Amino acid sequence: MAAITSCNVYIPVWRLEREEIAKATGFQSLGGERSVACWDEDSITMAVEAASGIVESANSVDALIFASTSSPFKVKQAASLIATALDLKSDIFTADVTDTFRASTNALIMASEMADSGKYKKILVVASEKIPVKPSTLYEQLFGDGAVALTVEKGGDGSEGEAEILGYSSHSKPQPGAWMKAYDDSMKDFDMRVDARFGYAANLQAAVMPLFAKMGLMPADVDRLVISAPDPKSYVGLLKSVGVKPEEFFFDKVGILGTAHPFLLLAHHLAKEGKIVLGSYGEGSDAFLIDIKSPLKSNLDKMIESKKKIDYGEYLYFREKIGERSYPDNPSPVKYWRDEKSILRFYGMKCRNCGTVSYPIGRCCIECGAKDNYEEVKLSEKGRVYTYTIDNLLSPGNYNADGVHPHVVAVVDFDGGGRAFMEVTDTYRGKEEIDIGMEVERTFRFLNEKNEFRYYYWKVRKPR
Amino acid sequence: MEVAIIGTGVTKFGHHWEKDQEDLLVEAAYEAINDAGVEFKDIEAVWCGTFYPFSGISGNNFSDPLKFFGKPISRVENYCATGMDNIRNACFAVACGAYDIVMAAGVEKLMDNGSRGIPYIEGIFPPYMPAVSAPGMFALAANRAFKEWGWNKEDLALVAVKNHYNGAKHPKAHFRSEITVEKALNAPMIAYPLGLYDCSAVSDGAAAVVLTRPEIAKKLVGDEYAVIKAIGMAVETIHPWARPSESFLSFPATVKAAKMAYKQAGIEDPMKEIDFGIVHDCFTITELINYQDMQLCKPGEGAKLIRDGVTAIDGDFPINPDGGLKSFGHPIAASGVRMVCELTRQVLGKAEGLQVKDAEIGFAHNLGGPYSVAAVSIVSRP
Repeated sequence: MAAITSCNVYIPVWRLEREEIAKATGFQSLGGERSVACWDEDSITMAVEAASGIVESANSVDALIFASTSSPFKVKQAASLIATALDLKSDIFTADVTDTFRASTNALIMASEMADSGKYKKILVVASEKIPVKPSTLYEQLFGDGAVALTVEKGGDGSEGEAEILGYSSHSKPQPGAWMKAYDDSMKDFDMRVDARFGYAANLQAAVMPLFAKMGLMPADVDRLVISAPDPKSYVGLLKSVGVKPEEFFFDKVGILGTAHPFLLLAHHLAKEGKIVLGSYGEGSDAFLIDIKSPLKSNLDKMIESKKKIDYGEYLYFREKIGERSYPDNPSPVKYWRDEKSILRFYGMKCRNCGTVSYPIGRCCIECGAKDNYEEVKLSEKGRVYTYTIDNLLSPGNYNADGVHPHVVAVVDFDGGGRAFMEVTDTYRGKEEIDIGMEVERTFRFLNEKNEFRYYYWKVRKPR
Repeated sequence: MEVAIIGTGVTKFGHHWEKDQEDLLVEAAYEAINDAGVEFKDIEAVWCGTFYPFSGISGNNFSDPLKFFGKPISRVENYCATGMDNIRNACFAVACGAYDIVMAAGVEKLMDNGSRGIPYIEGIFPPYMPAVSAPGMFALAANRAFKEWGWNKEDLALVAVKNHYNGAKHPKAHFRSEITVEKALNAPMIAYPLGLYDCSAVSDGAAAVVLTRPEIAKKLVGDEYAVIKAIGMAVETIHPWARPSESFLSFPATVKAAKMAYKQAGIEDPMKEIDFGIVHDCFTITELINYQDMQLCKPGEGAKLIRDGVTAIDGDFPINPDGGLKSFGHPIAASGVRMVCELTRQVLGKAEGLQVKDAEIGFAHNLGGPYSVAAVSIVSRP
């Protein structure tokens, strides 16, 4: 049977207290805090972050499935871009699974079948969300931003850290639920109570009962219920109705991560042995019986702990609700495509004549000028600041200065060679501490949108 | 190579909202012609520098404002060294005898495109690279110098104070008031650690020179001409931040251009053999590093020169007695030409109120782009 063999979480560093939202908007606080993606993060960049933590060898992955309801593209495959940023092989299978908060578990079913077929050795499934919401709405407090990546392989070889997928079943049912039409810019719903009362519990039950029947199980055979929900109240209500004590739902710490939420809960539970039922909800439900034979490590706790507070004003800036964003250049998508190896895969060149590692890849060596005599080398994820500045004449992302957010840039010497000029991100209005010699790590980010095209690139940040 | 400067023309530098590029160029070109005592019909060829794409196009940059038609005109563009590179090209043409009398002019009308830093140029850097402003580029060097040599913001402020002290007396400077160290230190931050007074201003202006060979100069103006003894120039990478060997503590383009110029002029110890200099003080940190790159002191000792008053107008080696870019602002292509005009004024003893004592020979220096282009010229009495 297929098994989940590794798990990695990415929660953006920024947290917005719901009390802070309430103070600014007058909307009643739901308590706790939610995670907020930086202005240069989206579901694609967070997917890269989550996945990069478990892709040890780029050659080992032969399929990547991206699950999200908030891809920045309607037409353009996110999975192929993510695979490229991860420097995966180009002959792998890539797919986006979208449009429902069940997309993640849809993808997990696909991955498990692919592993079982024996045709795919390791499938990377990444669920990622940055759900667009209107300020001063319930959804603004409900959702959080983040991503979770899993690898699925053929299991049962008794190796360390393995959660075997014993079986699954699905139930499909259109509900009024929450929706976004093709051109909507934020989540809509008719009345969440309709779903809460007639959709959620009924759909879960309709998926779980056949699973129990199929597996010949009684509820008592299951150690824990790992069930996602559209809101924390529905979650508590469901678990109480079946006589189970509600567990950590991460609403106070992160918020609901949309389709990534079932995986977030799973990441939490994978750390402990036992048989679990994993359930998702969205236009129906997917249910899995998973046997965690030996616990899987994840970085979930670290991601929860590593955080910085953000105020509501900065949150509105992150979401482009306030402030001016004008970009002076007209970049060419062709250049971007042509230099993919340097831009997205972050390869530099190592001169065979003088040994210098430099970035980006060019025809002649920047130190000795040797022509066409180099090998392509991938630069390290970590490096140190050689020098830097905090530039008030520009704003982050190469935008024209807005008078509030300076552009923090650094000359970075990457471990093992290669020097590049990098934007320093995850800074609060440039007031971040930065110094010569400081360690930084690469992070894949949205760069800018210009000429009707959306550009991504690597930046650096203080290590999380 | 020895080329004679027989006429100079410089407009007032500043925010010329009411004037067009045409006005500035006509003003500077006619002043140079009149100073040389020649007429436009005597000018056989022109080199006209403008850096920005919006500054105009090709030879028409010069032909149309002056209605100077039917003769060879080249447009030169080489970052902040445009002005001096422009003169360099004109020099070779007269020196080799192809022409007898030529003009080299530089003009830049920046204020029409706004005053918040120099305008951004599309496509200059790859789309993915973080953009950086001009102060940002040089701030990279300042932070490194602070770390490496223990220089500080006060050292930078001393440069601004010195140059504004000189510039306050120059009738054509953009800024004509002195400042204090305290004022410089308390100014708004532009690109850390460079504050407002560490930066030269965006400005409009034009400058022109009339060049010929010394034997013709003697016939036209007697002894009233200056001699260009050398012009060195070097181009380095546009991506200093990608070159592992780049120290950010020296600008290799300057080092190489200076070496060339010193060699051409037969100078072995510039501190002893040259009387004064005009360096590219686009930012205060640049001036301090220039001292070192121009071989006036050892690496790391630049700040000591300003602290000890060596480069003050009455010091052992006055630097920027005219007030520098700090006082004039920096209309890119005009600056290098203006600097050569200033050298001429000084060596001819015509720098009223700002005359360096016994100034017989001086150098001027331009540094442009991400420190990627530098030019150094040496001018003396005949």
